[in-house]
Amino acid sequence: MIIKPSQNFCGQIRRREFIHQLGGGFTSLALTGLLGQSGFFSQAQAAELSANPLAPRIPQLPAKAKSVIFLFMYGGPSHMDTFDYKPKLYPLDGKTIPIKTFGRGGKKNEGRVVGPKWKFKQYGQCGKYVSDLFPHTAQCVDDIAFVHSMTADSPIHGSAMLMMNSGSLLSGKPSLGSWLNYGLGSVNENLPGYVVMLDKTGGPISGAKNWSSGYMPASYQGVVFRSQGDPILNLADKNGMSRVQQRSLLDYLGDANHKHLQGREDHTDLSSRIASYELAFRMQATAPEAIDIDKEPEHIKKLYGMDEARTEDFGRKCLLARRLVERGVRFIQIYSGGAHNDDNWDAHGDLEKNHNFHAGNTDKAIAGLLKDLKQRGLLDETLVVWGGEFGRQPTAEYAAGTGRDHNSYGFTMWMAGGGIKGGISYGETDELGSQAVVNRCQVKHLHATILHQMGIDPNSLSYFYNGLDQKLIGVEEIDPISEIMA
Amino acid sequence: MLGLSGVASAQSEADVSFFRDQVKPILQQHCFECHGASDGKGGYKIKSGLQLISRKGLLKGGAHGAVINEESPEKSLLLEVISYNNEDLQMPPKNKLSDEEIALITDWVKRGAPWTPEDADVLHEVHDPHAEMTTVNEKTKAHWSYKPMQRPAVPEVAEFAHPIDKFLEVERQARGLKANHPASRGELLRRATFDLTGLAPSLAEVQAFENDTSADAWEKRIDRLLALPQYGEKWGRHWLDLVRYAESQGFERDTPKAFVWRYRDYVIDAFNKDKPYDQFLTEQLAGDEIPNPTAESLIATGYHRLMQWDDEPADRLQHFHDVIDDNVRVTTETMLGMTVGCARCHDHKGDPIPQKDYFQFASFFRNISPMGNGNTNLRLIDTAQSHSPEQVQAMQQEMQQVRERIQQAEQAYAALPEQKDLAVEKDNVALITDSRVKPWKWHFTTKKPADDWFTVGFRAETQGWQEGLSAFGTDVPNGKAVTSWRTPDIWLQTSFLLEKIPSSLRMDLHHDEDVSIYCNGQLVYQKEKYRVDYASMEVPPAFLAALQTGRNVISVHVHQTGGGQYFDFGLVTKGRSIRREMLAEQNTQLTPEQRQAFRQDVARLAELEKLLEKRSEQALVVAENGKESPPTFIHMRGSAHAEGAEVQPGFPLIFGGEMAKSLPIEHSNSTGRRLALAEWITRDDNPRTARVMVNRLWQHHFGKGICATPNDFGFLGSAPTHPQLLDWLASEFVSKNWSMKAMHKLIMTSAAYQMSNRRSEVQLAQDPANETYWRFMPRRMTSEELRDNILLATGELNLQQGGPSIFVPIPEEVLATSSTKGGKWGESPPDQVNRRSVYGVSKRSLQVPLLTDHDQADLDNPCPVRFATIVPTQALGMINSDFIHEKARVLSARLKREAGDDPAAQVKIAYQLMVQRTADEQEISRAVEFLQLMRDEHKLSADDALQRFCVAVFSFNEFIFID
Repeated sequence: MIIKPSQNFCGQIRRREFIHQLGGGFTSLALTGLLGQSGFFSQAQAAELSANPLAPRIPQLPAKAKSVIFLFMYGGPSHMDTFDYKPKLYPLDGKTIPIKTFGRGGKKNEGRVVGPKWKFKQYGQCGKYVSDLFPHTAQCVDDIAFVHSMTADSPIHGSAMLMMNSGSLLSGKPSLGSWLNYGLGSVNENLPGYVVMLDKTGGPISGAKNWSSGYMPASYQGVVFRSQGDPILNLADKNGMSRVQQRSLLDYLGDANHKHLQGREDHTDLSSRIASYELAFRMQATAPEAIDIDKEPEHIKKLYGMDEARTEDFGRKCLLARRLVERGVRFIQIYSGGAHNDDNWDAHGDLEKNHNFHAGNTDKAIAGLLKDLKQRGLLDETLVVWGGEFGRQPTAEYAAGTGRDHNSYGFTMWMAGGGIKGGISYGETDELGSQAVVNRCQVKHLHATILHQMGIDPNSLSYFYNGLDQKLIGVEEIDPISEIMA
Repeated sequence: MLGLSGVASAQSEADVSFFRDQVKPILQQHCFECHGASDGKGGYKIKSGLQLISRKGLLKGGAHGAVINEESPEKSLLLEVISYNNEDLQMPPKNKLSDEEIALITDWVKRGAPWTPEDADVLHEVHDPHAEMTTVNEKTKAHWSYKPMQRPAVPEVAEFAHPIDKFLEVERQARGLKANHPASRGELLRRATFDLTGLAPSLAEVQAFENDTSADAWEKRIDRLLALPQYGEKWGRHWLDLVRYAESQGFERDTPKAFVWRYRDYVIDAFNKDKPYDQFLTEQLAGDEIPNPTAESLIATGYHRLMQWDDEPADRLQHFHDVIDDNVRVTTETMLGMTVGCARCHDHKGDPIPQKDYFQFASFFRNISPMGNGNTNLRLIDTAQSHSPEQVQAMQQEMQQVRERIQQAEQAYAALPEQKDLAVEKDNVALITDSRVKPWKWHFTTKKPADDWFTVGFRAETQGWQEGLSAFGTDVPNGKAVTSWRTPDIWLQTSFLLEKIPSSLRMDLHHDEDVSIYCNGQLVYQKEKYRVDYASMEVPPAFLAALQTGRNVISVHVHQTGGGQYFDFGLVTKGRSIRREMLAEQNTQLTPEQRQAFRQDVARLAELEKLLEKRSEQALVVAENGKESPPTFIHMRGSAHAEGAEVQPGFPLIFGGEMAKSLPIEHSNSTGRRLALAEWITRDDNPRTARVMVNRLWQHHFGKGICATPNDFGFLGSAPTHPQLLDWLASEFVSKNWSMKAMHKLIMTSAAYQMSNRRSEVQLAQDPANETYWRFMPRRMTSEELRDNILLATGELNLQQGGPSIFVPIPEEVLATSSTKGGKWGESPPDQVNRRSVYGVSKRSLQVPLLTDHDQADLDNPCPVRFATIVPTQALGMINSDFIHEKARVLSARLKREAGDDPAAQVKIAYQLMVQRTADEQEISRAVEFLQLMRDEHKLSADDALQRFCVAVFSFNEFIFID
């Protein structure tokens, strides 16, 4: 076997010496991992990381996007009922045909076709076909690049969720948002750099594993943000403690800690910790301001569908996402759907009921977000990603009914803004939508594209752990999907 | 060169021009880009090590071997991958070639793959800059940690008496540095108590030590601390970090690992007993294979069951090997300080570990029975029987009589006309009918099915199982069989559809004998022995939790050892329960006496069943599938679907490459391979085992190891700062019979451990990282220490040891992030909640924010060094969380109780409790001033002001950092 000469391979003793220089058994020890091989970070940057893992970094490549909003349609939306028009599937409705599928119900070689349940119309200059499930989003197709040839390694929720979020079927790996914050740092230290907003019905399968920082420090994990009330855990003053009162408390604490610091000034962790309390104090003022949507004019709220009961919730989250983008948050993930079964896009039973419900709750808000970002000139620097952990099969799961099983052989995701070319469709599934056949993409291509647009070379963003320079995209070099870049 | 490349002399001009004109353009367009073209950065893209740019490249091949099969061209790998028939290997990856292109290539391969002579031998030179350290050679064998251990002589140094200090002093002197002055006795006792027990000493203990003038005052303290049961809790936790101890499986259902806490107790107990480290390792690896296994050694093998496990993987075969891989990595990293994980896919790129070594190592674990849900991997470990055989017999007789009485009463009652006013639910929906109602169709087999037969994706109908109607077996009392079953075992599967999840379900069950019922892959009911009649019961909560809308699969295993066979099962939503009706108070069809008698019988039956339960404890343990292991193959590129050469169990080449000599074990029905591995790892002269562990002991006393990368002693790890000292300590460890307590004492009696952490400007400039140990380095508390010591200060800490894990409360906001309501997070009684953090439930998908914020170990990966980050979310939690405010309230009440209403006295006690020293005047007056301000300016009551003071005290750096 030939051993590939890897530009990214470390093993450089220099890196190790450097860790030693950072100091003994203190915070710096935690940095054993931080210094990706061949110095993903310069020594100066790495030294800064030791003091503050979230210190802002300059992107390696010219960045097209500054932030990502990932609209996660959890449960797996059906591509042939939304954005992947399959006219030949309609007349086959009810017919049993030979077809290879793999879903929750295992591998099958034939199935009863469920014709698409919605009509498709052409929209925009590009003439993209979009189903009646997304009439509002359809108006934005000229800003959207559709990737119809997505594939994933698993058609099972648990592992497929981990795959879409962290690039691996197994848990313990950092998620995409963690990688971005590790690679880029945070430009607003008063807000978390990685925000997750969950569905009202609950978190997705595996909960916090989906926004975990894995083997990286917990500072890189996603922070769950609530769109109403106290946005972050422990942000609100407790127990009737007013801000002035808290100031007095922090002053007292500061005095005590400064006295302790005397004679120990060289232990910088002590002063870092003193500073972190001041930072937290400022965060408490900044974060509520960020979510104060009441300040938004009525017509903007309306744009996001906040005037209608069914779109109010997702609309609020999308509007909140825009406000967070304005404040420099790197990665925002909004879940449509939570918990299990029909609380998310997992339409095993009644496809129409399920998808009408979830698309109806989100369509207007998504369109509103794209339009609002665009009118503010923010769409150029904000990458919006839409999709689930997989798609659905063209055939029925049970003897009766319209439910479709999972499908990781082919599905659709789309991206808009952040240097992505609008009005195009990349890749194709076969004429039934059962599997990707043209320009097939894997989840790692999607991840590589997101990193690339954010100014990070996906092939060099690495983190040394377990004797290996770990990467989001895996060991082999991966090219981002350049065909959809503007 | 020509002949070497194998350019067939027979290749004709016609063949060559066919290749040049029709085939080469296809390869150029679709293959060269990744397999040989320039990468634009001065190198070449050679994915999977394969170069397709020449005939020589085809034959040399890549990670999957040669892509052309010269003997049987139709079997060429190249044709397989372009056909797209192999789901795991399809090329080109983005688009399948057209049928015409495939036909041309096929034709060309069948012609012997002729190539244009001018470039048939071209291959890019691939230079591997790391070849020197990735092969077994004189240089790699001489690397400090691959070299055999030697016992270095202790250097002659007059300034110090302790061997450790002599070693350190040599380095210090070489750099012109001097050892710091000793720490104060207060600092020292706090340091030692935290290091050994994870808890603060009391002020009284500090003062006693300060006043103890005896020569052995320090040694006495060490001995006392090592004897405390809290020692095992603190050091057991370090071990649990390494073996990524968690109590759930992970993935979609994240179900609990039943009884895994017995392993946690085993570890804690092993440290407390000072179990020799070699024995500690042997029991975990092969506690079932050693001669005369004990309950303890069997429980220790839970070690093999701690990893994450997917009950519904997309690729079963691959996941089976993922589990082995997880255990190989933990074993090699934890016990040997080797990161071999990379070698699963290819030879290690930083250490001399070929892929073959990896699979030889993996084969030690190949025969382990697969992980499963519920109690698939549980074993009843017998403890002493508490009833005499006579008592047992008497109880069994009584039970028979009670059963008959209940049965007669129920039959008599069933014959009565139904009573209207009893709340009988009429809308019965039978999801599965039992045979008495209507025989139900099941798939069944009496041949042992695949190990994953009960899991979600397993479809009996596609596995050749038969169809049959219930009930199964032979005619038994109160049961008539429809489908005959006369073998010892039967496995059954059926399914039903659910529109919505019912709030309750009743099952009707009759079995002979042991039955296990799974719903959607989860074990939901298990019962040993036989029944003599149908039982009708509410399904257990686990059953309800496993239901899903749509298709639900019920899988059943019934095992019979003697007598008749029988199985019948029904599942009904709501419905009539005769027993419940008979017990109902408002039932007028029974006399009060009849009902009383019936009630007594029912209660007595339950009591007898409980009394007759086996006196034994269940534990999650290892088991093998017999005395012969299936073969182990090298997996090309780590794929279980691409098997290469077969390998046998053996030890890494760099350590001599000896093959394992294992003998099948009679008493555990296993191969003996793990015992052979344990014997090799625990050999006194194993070059890694003792070194790795003494380095860990050192690390947790001094904050960093002599080798700063404790799980990686290879070329990618750090070089040790004091290799001689490390080797000397390792040889001491072995000669002290692998006693960890002896090593603690050895380390802690050194002057190095007792030094102050204060700076000296000159020395700080010369050695800021303290590589020479000129001073001691402070550390931040771990997440567990933080929580435990807050509870210690409030007086609430419950030091109860062992047993099932307790639920540390999780805020509602965090529970809401789970996909199931409340995350299935339980509630423990108040006194149990206040137990030490090591006894808290550790669930992979749901964790306690206070602990994760302060860098508790990741539950999926081995954690050799904890992070110690400082971020504002920690501060938010320490100022605003419910936990802190509640504990501040309890602490303030304690201060008031112990000091009365005098603010100065309250402050004094707070300092004593939190930092184990007396507050000085300045500190007292500043605190009193704060209390005053809270009352006057912020209009708080004295109690509330004191509570605010306590919030601040929990955030003292002096509390959280240990000098």
